[in-house]
Amino acid sequence: MQRVVITGMGAIAAIGLDAKQIWSAMTQGQSGIAPISNIPTDRLNVRIAAEVKNFDPQAHFQEKHLAALDRVSQFALVTAREALKQSGLAFTDALRDRCAVVVGTGVGGENTRDEQFCRLYGDAKGRVHPMTIVRLMTSAPASQISIEFGITGPAFVVSSACASANHALAQAFRMVRGGEVDVAIAGGSEASLSFGSLKAWEAMRVLADDTCRPFSAGRRGVVLGEGAGMFVLESLAHARERGAVILAELAGAGLSSDAADLVYPSVSGAARAMEKALVDGGLAPDAIDYVNAHGTGTAANDPTETKAIHRVFGAHAHRLAVSSTKAMHGHALGASGAIELLAVIGALREGVIPPTINFLEADPACDLDYVPNAARERAVRAVLSNSFAFGGLNAVLALRRAP
Amino acid sequence: MSTIRNQILAIIAKEAHVEPERVTLDASLQDLAVSSLEILEILFAIEEHFNITLPDRDPSFETTSVGGLVKALERFVLDSGFPDASAVAA
Repeated sequence: MQRVVITGMGAIAAIGLDAKQIWSAMTQGQSGIAPISNIPTDRLNVRIAAEVKNFDPQAHFQEKHLAALDRVSQFALVTAREALKQSGLAFTDALRDRCAVVVGTGVGGENTRDEQFCRLYGDAKGRVHPMTIVRLMTSAPASQISIEFGITGPAFVVSSACASANHALAQAFRMVRGGEVDVAIAGGSEASLSFGSLKAWEAMRVLADDTCRPFSAGRRGVVLGEGAGMFVLESLAHARERGAVILAELAGAGLSSDAADLVYPSVSGAARAMEKALVDGGLAPDAIDYVNAHGTGTAANDPTETKAIHRVFGAHAHRLAVSSTKAMHGHALGASGAIELLAVIGALREGVIPPTINFLEADPACDLDYVPNAARERAVRAVLSNSFAFGGLNAVLALRRAP
Repeated sequence: MSTIRNQILAIIAKEAHVEPERVTLDASLQDLAVSSLEILEILFAIEEHFNITLPDRDPSFETTSVGGLVKALERFVLDSGFPDASAVAA
């Protein structure tokens, strides 16, 4: 069994166009939630989102290449480039075959689907763009990364709604740990703030109309976001051999399913995923100093997640710092675990815990230390990062400081 | 033409897959095993049937009884100006 470390990270979110900007915004408690401006809002009831703004595809891709890229693949490629650059990895043909690409996404090429089907149903046109299939196929982000870097090892997409990124990172982690590959590019990407998708979310009646206030009294639901996070995972031996800078150790992953309600969260399912992550990572509960919560800001999630943390950590629950960074970057669905991994890695490296912003006052059903409104300095030895998806699919990552 | 109330009761029975005779004002939603997703389906069906838009959330939706839900929905339908057949018949 190999130890697995992270040697590169790249990200795009409403609060920044690279990992450094996003981490800086997180420590300053900046919010990317704003009036929707990337698409027309005249027929939307939802008015706010955490959109990625000022992202210029032409600055990153040739026109010829762009024709084949949905926004979700653009985000995936730009963040993979950033992560690989930071890692300093130099690919040889042998390494390309010992490298995996595992990308999480909830719905894949949603903007392409929306635009092209609008031509058929809305504009009554007779044909769609010939690149429609290759743009919208859910697996496109993994294919695009594989092709751009010539990676010939296993590459695929993992989909589990809002837990997609964590499931993808867990899968890549196991492939590196088990020795199937030496290196993996893994994370999540989501770009689903289309008119059709937003209308579908409206019908779920879970969207906040003011802002996102995880764990706070007065919270009114989810604010949708978009973006991506990609990471270079590597065996510790491989990273040491090439003298790479190690950002953190990915110590374990815990996966579980609720096997219960399709949308109502479960204390047991969430708790089992956290417990499994601790056991998998060889971490005692009291070794954890910070939990990056799923923390969506819905009436149902936040008390359920709080109860699950109590169940897993017992008395230590009150000594933990728990925060949800979704109040800053929104709920980026299949990318959320990847964007949140920046919060976790930053906390481990710099001893700063990003806050839960927009916090008004305590809800009696949420009685933990949520690091309200302002970042806090605290030495962090090890962390958990939670993702719990609609459909009852749960994935929790356990990380500790770089060895 | 049935009253607004009867139309709402019929929609609840259909969307929650419960026999109409069990959908009475004093029945509890839990006893009828109405799930949170079925509540969403009921709200959607009411919006479609009466051509109205219900708020995303309203304290009156946080009810445990069929009667509570029916009265809340009835109020939104009447406020929208939908003619009440029972009033016309009277």
